Amino acid sequence: MVNIQNVTFSYSKKTELLSNMSLQLEPGRIHGLLGKNGEGKSTLLKLISGLVFPTSGTIDTMGFVPEKRFPEMLQEIYFLPEELPLLTMSIQNYENVYAPFYPKFSAEQFNNYLKEFDITDKHQMLNKLSHGQKKKVFVAFGLATNTKLLLMDEPTNGLDIPSKGQFRRMVASAIDDTRCLLISTHQVHDLDSLIDSIIIMEKHRIVFNQPIEEITKKLYFCISDRNEKDNAVIYSEDTLRGLYQVCENKTGDDSKLDIELLFNAVLTNTKQIVELFK
Amino acid sequence: MKTTFSLNRIGLLLSRYFIENKQRELSFWGIATVIFMFMHQPGSISVFVFIAGLIFAANSFKAFNYTPTGMHFLLIPATHTEKLITAIILNTVYFFIAFLITYCAGTVIGINLENLIFDRNTPVVLDLFQQGNYQFGDDSVNLWNMFYSFAIVQAIFTLGSVYFKRSSAFKTILTFFVLAFVLFLFELLMLKIMFGSFSLSGHNSFNINLPRDYELFTGWETVGEIIKYVTLPFLWIVSYFRLTEKQV
Repeated sequence: MVNIQNVTFSYSKKTELLSNMSLQLEPGRIHGLLGKNGEGKSTLLKLISGLVFPTSGTIDTMGFVPEKRFPEMLQEIYFLPEELPLLTMSIQNYENVYAPFYPKFSAEQFNNYLKEFDITDKHQMLNKLSHGQKKKVFVAFGLATNTKLLLMDEPTNGLDIPSKGQFRRMVASAIDDTRCLLISTHQVHDLDSLIDSIIIMEKHRIVFNQPIEEITKKLYFCISDRNEKDNAVIYSEDTLRGLYQVCENKTGDDSKLDIELLFNAVLTNTKQIVELFK
Repeated sequence: MKTTFSLNRIGLLLSRYFIENKQRELSFWGIATVIFMFMHQPGSISVFVFIAGLIFAANSFKAFNYTPTGMHFLLIPATHTEKLITAIILNTVYFFIAFLITYCAGTVIGINLENLIFDRNTPVVLDLFQQGNYQFGDDSVNLWNMFYSFAIVQAIFTLGSVYFKRSSAFKTILTFFVLAFVLFLFELLMLKIMFGSFSLSGHNSFNINLPRDYELFTGWETVGEIIKYVTLPFLWIVSYFRLTEKQV
């Protein structure tokens, strides 16, 4: 669905934001894009949708060159940015104006998603809504467009606690084998039961890109006693509840993936983990 | 949906504009009608329309003022051509037609009110439609010339609004004056090189004297007409390429 080959991007001549990056995204998956601030996560989303152009390398988004911004491609992409656009119109008018641009838009789905988010009055003005409420409208609209590619930049920022759960349920029900969702986030705990593939960026390149099943096959996540020493430990974090560890899964036992721990492990021991997944 | 030109998408983009700016449009044209009730001088009306028009055109791509709104605009599934044509329709055709309608309405209401209040019998005359009967600067103006000049000004400010992220009207005016000044200096330089003087109309201390009706180049009027009619599409084409290159 998305094929990025050796892409380099920079906003200025002095500093490269993305360096020789390659990435493939398959349909039917929810990809979590993780990385520290300033690594280029949002820029990657922009490159995929054609909002910025690569300095070198090629990007193929559903068979299109994104920088051409052809309508056939744009009608199959919905990008939810972290900061939302300023629009002076009601939710109903937003639907009336923008839905016709998306041939697979479902008004029924949109209404259901809004209802699930407890937004009942579609005559409310978008510019009068709080950031969280506005985000709910855009999430609902994005899911209802039924585009093949959904790009979300920090989608749970600004959502209240119940809404985060609703968001997870909605996304899980909306994704099928034909759709691909790429979520850039720092709120890993909001999404840990949702994403099924993890992409980690470090030093302006992708250092880790694996499906969850592969991660839990090769890594074992556990809480151990501080006195226990294990040679298979790749990374550990001392917390009040004990020693959180990421170990090499030598026995093939199942464990619950802790995305935050994995992220820290990858950043600390990149080489070792990359070798393990080769 | 097709990548080729789609009238349906232009219709959607236009309806998007009117839904989003309904209140602003109604207020502006309401105020304009009231102004035209009292303002009947074609010269002042032209100045009003040109200034209001350039501000309107400078806001054609105001979405780029704020990055998330700019992203939202660029991601609307329509071609760059359709987005630009929509902007041109709005700031040139729509604005001029809305201006003519409010001008007519304002003048008719204004004159009739004056007649009613002051017990006069002034006939309703729409001076703007009386071809060539009034002066604007040095030239006799007719409606077509006025529209064409208006379209060029709008095209300049539309280009400015794609080019500059913020305060595009001010920056476009500044750029225009800087370019005009550079051209003026270039002209002086060329005159100095070619004729040894900074002026062609000097009578006192310069080397050459030319009669006022002297034509340096024959056929200059034809060239002028060509330049005049090429300028508008040229500005639109530059705006199109600038829009295709736009990154947010």
